[in-house]
Amino acid sequence: MISIGIDSGAATTKAVVLCENKITGYAIIPTGFDFRKAGEAAYQEVLSKSGMDETGIGKILATGYGRSSIGFADKTISEITAHARGVCYLIPAAHTIIDIGGQDSKVISMENGKVVDFLMNDRCAAGTGKFLEYTAKALEISLDELGTLAQLSKNPAKISSMCTVFAESEVVSLRAQQVKKEDIAAGLIESIIQRTIVMVKKLGIKPDVAFVGGVAKNPGIVKTLEKVLDIKIKLPEEPQITGALGAALLA
Amino acid sequence: MDKIVENIVFIKSLDLFKDAFPERIDQILKNKEEGKKIVGTLCLYVPDELIYACGVDRVILCGGRSAPIEAAEQYLPRNLCPLIKSSFGSVIDQKCSKTKSCPHFGLVDLIIAEATCDGKKKMYELLNQYIPIHVMDLPQKPENQNALEYYIKELESLKCVLENLTGNKITDAKLRNEIKSANETRKLLHELYELRKRDSPPIRGTEMLKVLQQMHFLSPDGFRKNLVLLLDELKVKKRENSGPRIMISGCPMASGNMKVPEIIENRGGLIVVEESCTGTRAFWDLVDENKELMRALAERYLKIPCACMYPNDRRIDQILRLAGDFNVDGVVYYTLQFCHGYNVEKYRVAEALKKSGIPLLSIESDYSGADTEQIKTRVDAFLEMLE
Ligand code: SF4
Ligand code: SF4
Repeated sequence: MISIGIDSGAATTKAVVLCENKITGYAIIPTGFDFRKAGEAAYQEVLSKSGMDETGIGKILATGYGRSSIGFADKTISEITAHARGVCYLIPAAHTIIDIGGQDSKVISMENGKVVDFLMNDRCAAGTGKFLEYTAKALEISLDELGTLAQLSKNPAKISSMCTVFAESEVVSLRAQQVKKEDIAAGLIESIIQRTIVMVKKLGIKPDVAFVGGVAKNPGIVKTLEKVLDIKIKLPEEPQITGALGAALLA
Repeated sequence: MDKIVENIVFIKSLDLFKDAFPERIDQILKNKEEGKKIVGTLCLYVPDELIYACGVDRVILCGGRSAPIEAAEQYLPRNLCPLIKSSFGSVIDQKCSKTKSCPHFGLVDLIIAEATCDGKKKMYELLNQYIPIHVMDLPQKPENQNALEYYIKELESLKCVLENLTGNKITDAKLRNEIKSANETRKLLHELYELRKRDSPPIRGTEMLKVLQQMHFLSPDGFRKNLVLLLDELKVKKRENSGPRIMISGCPMASGNMKVPEIIENRGGLIVVEESCTGTRAFWDLVDENKELMRALAERYLKIPCACMYPNDRRIDQILRLAGDFNVDGVVYYTLQFCHGYNVEKYRVAEALKKSGIPLLSIESDYSGADTEQIKTRVDAFLEMLE
């Protein structure tokens, strides 16, 4: 049986093909303006990557922020349920998931792939990938560089603004005070992590802890998170596709 | 993609509540022309019985719509509970007053307010520039020895205020009558809530909320009359409602504010009880008809478990009791942004529910639609978790 999961996120759209419970291909593309178009494009791409056409495709399940725009899906499911299922498949011992995506961040606690509790950040961009993206821009570096650079810091700057827009101006004023670039970078990462930690602590942490979402691809952030939580974090090989994978598994 | 199709069995009497607005406004206008005084209230701690025993009509002024907020923000801080801003806005917004859709401006002779949360108290100071206000004080520690006596005194002064406003006397006979009829309404609501305990309740939460939002807008008689018809209909009509059974607990949902319950039920949940001022808090306790009237009234009203009170264990006990009685699968803790009372109290409620193994989803929101998609995601995940 072949099933497909599509995770229609605010920043990226992900698709996974599952054949006899094995991943045969995945695609990650930028969402752009139109959720529906991105969903279709990801679907076509993942089919060609797995060397398939539409024949023999069983169920298609959509998840993510734009899930209801994916008209060709048979069903939709929330990304929280999907992530839990996907992570459980890849990391069976996981009980806690930290997911920092472009639009929101969440912490999920689960048993055997079933969600038992979860928390999600409030509506604004504080504590999400967007926060890092914007503030990295204020440092004139890319998101990847931010993580690498931060590891050089011995004295992380204190960023007190949670708000993305305010933090951006805070970065500018730190630059004006000639604070080292790596210290500002480290400060930004600590700030977003603090935000996540509050949620993790509220929910209670039970190992193994899996870290997923686009931000998990940043080694600097993973290191800081491990340091602050004092725990070894499990990373899926491709942390961005756990939602789509979960959807495919649940299809 | 919402998951629920409208129930096919139609309940006619629900429209009595839905369409009540113009008729009720006409009624109030007529009462006013005939010399009746009209008071506005904004909280459950102000006893209807006293107001009606004095031959006064009343209308609830709690705002649930987002439109008046813009006008209110010229006077009030942005970071303030939307219910307070909306209520204030609909009184001061001149645009609003010119249309008949706004019952507030020009209709109300006196606002009977209450010293509950800080935001409301301070708002009343500003509102006082537009409309006369009487603010009832409330004991903040209802468990205290003197609390009851103090509250009785406050009711006595309210009685004087109403008598001075109208020149009418509140006689024991009249008051007894009003208490009796208010108790009747409460009993009817209990009867209705009994039906919601069924495996397949005949009424959905969003339908029930629209009924309760009218409770202090309609006259007590008008409300009770409609309620009787509704009950009769619900008792005989076969109607199937299903889905994870949800309790809403938290801030009031004033008329116009339907966002969260609508999302919950459109996504497949079924609200079976609401622990809120537009829910059980509005009718749960009865006034003891065998006691001295003012004391009996005071005892009943002091039992309202509002988060403005300290301590408020009664509310936690009530939530746990309701969760059991209504066989609830999960609780949605609903708060308005910047409502410190209910937001802080969330922690203790969450602890208590956790101990009892009842899942909780907390949603803090305002009257805008900005967070609709996020709330849908949370609600979906919560319902999937309960299934
Ligand atoms: S929440 Fe408290 S203050 Fe607000 S209406 Fe209810 S009892 Fe009154
Ligand atoms: S919801 Fe909270 S902040 Fe708003 S009026 Fe009621 S008690 Fe006050």
